[in-house]
Amino acid sequence: MNDRMNDCLLTLDSLSAGYNGADVIHDISFRVSAGENLSIIGPNGCGKTTLLHAIAHILPFTGEMALGGKSTRKMKHREIAGKIAVLCQISGIYFSYSVFDTVMMGRYLHIRDKFLGVPSREDKAYVTHCLEVVDLLAEKDREITKLSGGQLQRVFLARTLAQEPEIILLDEPTNHLDLKYQIELVEYLKEWAAEGNRAVIGVLHDINLALRLSGRLLVMKDGRVQAHGKTDEIVTGGLLERAYEVDVARYMRESLKMWEGVRD
Amino acid sequence: MKTKIFITISAALVILVLGVSLGSVNIPPGDVLGIIGHEVLGLRLPPDIKPATVTILWNLRLPRVLLAFIAGGALSVSGAVMQSLLRNPLASSYTIGVSSGASLGASFVILYGAAIPIIGAFALPFMGFIFGLGTILIAIALASRLDKSMENNTIILVGMVFSLFVNAITTLMAALSKEQMQRLITWQMGSFSMKDWQAVYILAPVLLLGTAFIAHFDKELDMMTFGEDQAKTMGVNLKSVKWTLLVSSAAITGSTIAFVGVIGFVDLVAPHIVRKLFGSSHRLVIPMSAVLGGAFMVVCDLAARTVVSPSELPVGAVTALIGAPFFAYIYFSRRASRGVGRRAKKR
Repeated sequence: MNDRMNDCLLTLDSLSAGYNGADVIHDISFRVSAGENLSIIGPNGCGKTTLLHAIAHILPFTGEMALGGKSTRKMKHREIAGKIAVLCQISGIYFSYSVFDTVMMGRYLHIRDKFLGVPSREDKAYVTHCLEVVDLLAEKDREITKLSGGQLQRVFLARTLAQEPEIILLDEPTNHLDLKYQIELVEYLKEWAAEGNRAVIGVLHDINLALRLSGRLLVMKDGRVQAHGKTDEIVTGGLLERAYEVDVARYMRESLKMWEGVRD
Repeated sequence: MKTKIFITISAALVILVLGVSLGSVNIPPGDVLGIIGHEVLGLRLPPDIKPATVTILWNLRLPRVLLAFIAGGALSVSGAVMQSLLRNPLASSYTIGVSSGASLGASFVILYGAAIPIIGAFALPFMGFIFGLGTILIAIALASRLDKSMENNTIILVGMVFSLFVNAITTLMAALSKEQMQRLITWQMGSFSMKDWQAVYILAPVLLLGTAFIAHFDKELDMMTFGEDQAKTMGVNLKSVKWTLLVSSAAITGSTIAFVGVIGFVDLVAPHIVRKLFGSSHRLVIPMSAVLGGAFMVVCDLAARTVVSPSELPVGAVTALIGAPFFAYIYFSRRASRGVGRRAKKR
């Protein structure tokens, strides 16, 4: 039992959270183990983002949350931030930095205690590595305000990776990405999670991407968990239809028909 | 980048010397350096310099120019902090009302001598700081109530309205104490005239320590320009850092305003130009805002005292003449680029 607890990267136990004292999500419990990604899906307003913000400790919550078996209430903010990183959708950028400097910000917890807060050679090498991963090394000196939406999102992915977290939370990061990069992002994150003691928890607007990311789904509706389990079980069990109140399977099949004539 | 820093600092030094040298009586820059050498290092005074010139320079002009530099620097550093914290290039102590609050506090001291026994000479900067901080807290609380994200111009609008209100209280106080009215109104418009070394001795450490302290938070400021949530998930101890920065920047603004009156827009213009020249990294933005803001203020003061010589303009009017159109320019150029997709945020 103890071993299993340690395998558990993240444990949520009857967690509730909301804004201005009114709970938006109620009584959420689940576990995420290493290498096991989870997609949170559900119609707009079901509380996906609220749940994600609570896990990221941006929002206060009631109930229990544990990282690696240790309650986050007993952890310092920095310790939590060292384990959980968030990749969110691009929002207002008012001040411009170079691509390299932006990714270096992800190293904050690694460099803040060094002498004068100067990044070491290892920090620079790690940032370079992250930029290679997202294929932006050639752009490292460019200003981020001069980049396209897709490039910018890859800069933020690199910054997230630079944090060296155990868990990456995805807050609809694919919104400004071309289809190519949407797929690449999800594929890359799957590889990343499989590499070590890691997991990805994603809120993705696109159901197809969500299914692609994870073998497990958490279906939410009206702030509660409606279904939780293996992706294929949920899809075949008609649970998506109940959450979205639309015949998802039929829609998917109809879309698929258009592609049947196209050769591989 | 090193060349740019070198050029900016050299230009600031040249401006300082010119500021001291030009005025109702022009003193050649060589003599300026000679007199400063004499007073500071005890060097022998060049024989052709009259004692009257020494008096003008050492007792009147040098403290005035130094005070202008210090005030400009302090205001600009706090402006840079406000802009980053509120993620708004239009934010500054002046536009969100800290200056008005500080001036109300200072008016109390000036009018009623607000006897605070122990702190004596520090009563003015202390009251300026307390009132400035109070204003910023109220303005932010009001703005966040009206608009949770605070990403648009609510904070600016609230600050403007609020500072008009606070100004009205100050004006009311002035009107009720007729004999002091003229003095208070002149002071409120902002000026460096009739200032002696005492103000320099008090404000110089405020600027130096304040800037050094704030510069220490360069990384956190960089990250917070991406939004508080992102800074937090990257490990910034948001609450404590944010409050520390707000309090320290209100402290340097409030104490400066208390000495020199309300001088607006320097804190908006200087950091903006610094970001254009040196990029957004606060490692440079903070110290260079001090240098550039200081130099800018010296130039404005020079204009204030020479353009209509022998009479004088309030320096606050000069900075506003330059700053207000600049404010409009930033506001409208931002609106023009609003359509960009990445600015749109969905919750």
